[in-house]
Amino acid sequence: MSSLIKEFSLIALLTSIGAAFSLFHGWSPLPWAEPELGPGEIQLMDAQALDVIWLDARSAEAFAREHIPGALHVEEGDPDAALLQLMELWLPEPRPIVVYCGSESCDTSRRVADQLRASLPEAEIYSLKGGWDAWEQ
Amino acid sequence: MGAINPTAYIILIARLIVSAAFIFAALPKIQDPISFASSVEGYQLLTGTAVLWVALLLPWLELVIGAGLFVPQMRRVSALIISALLLLFIGLHTSAWIRGLDIECGCFGEAASGAMDSYLWLILRNTALLMASLAVLMRDWKKPDRMRARPAAQVP
Repeated sequence: MSSLIKEFSLIALLTSIGAAFSLFHGWSPLPWAEPELGPGEIQLMDAQALDVIWLDARSAEAFAREHIPGALHVEEGDPDAALLQLMELWLPEPRPIVVYCGSESCDTSRRVADQLRASLPEAEIYSLKGGWDAWEQ
Repeated sequence: MGAINPTAYIILIARLIVSAAFIFAALPKIQDPISFASSVEGYQLLTGTAVLWVALLLPWLELVIGAGLFVPQMRRVSALIISALLLLFIGLHTSAWIRGLDIECGCFGEAASGAMDSYLWLILRNTALLMASLAVLMRDWKKPDRMRARPAAQVP
């Protein structure tokens, strides 16, 4: 039994040394570090580099005050209402769709993006990291 | 010179095949853990930090136990972990097949994988490897000291 424990320990030790080597050489990202982007998110710089369709998931008032040029407004509870307008833009020229809400802490854009992915499975849909605040900066 | 034992040769070949499969599977994933992480994520069973830990540790574990099949101080537990991992991989591929996922296997890293190999082929391949590793495991378990260094006087 003790020889099995020794074998397990040796394998664990060598695996840990290998993993440390990967981290030391920068081959692997630090697993405990906060990931830069969550699943389905896109950085503003990357979105600007692509010719994207913007979807504003903030309130109607905030949209009326100011929005990204060319953006469509979408209500979280009823994303299908914006779907027709979205299809008019997307169908003739399919391109990535980026949904944004107010700030880094809001979650509406992620939820709307999830809903839209179900309606438009062929489309490339992201939520904007940092939201409107990132655009304003 | 003792008589040739065919079973011993079969076990040696099984050991070589399983060892080579794990070592060659590990090397590209060690060099490119980010691609491997994306393959792991494709199975939709782990997310975030857990994916990165798997992508960091699993390739090194595969390398260590692949080589460990030939190291007397590690070979029993290496064969045991290899068998457990192969069972896990068969389960993962079956689960992905049932869920209709269209993913990259990630088995031999990003470079070796084009479109997803057929699930049936992956499951059959891992089952064959599992049979081989179980044969090695049973042999090593019955004769734990067989590959250890022996005093010169006992060597035939």
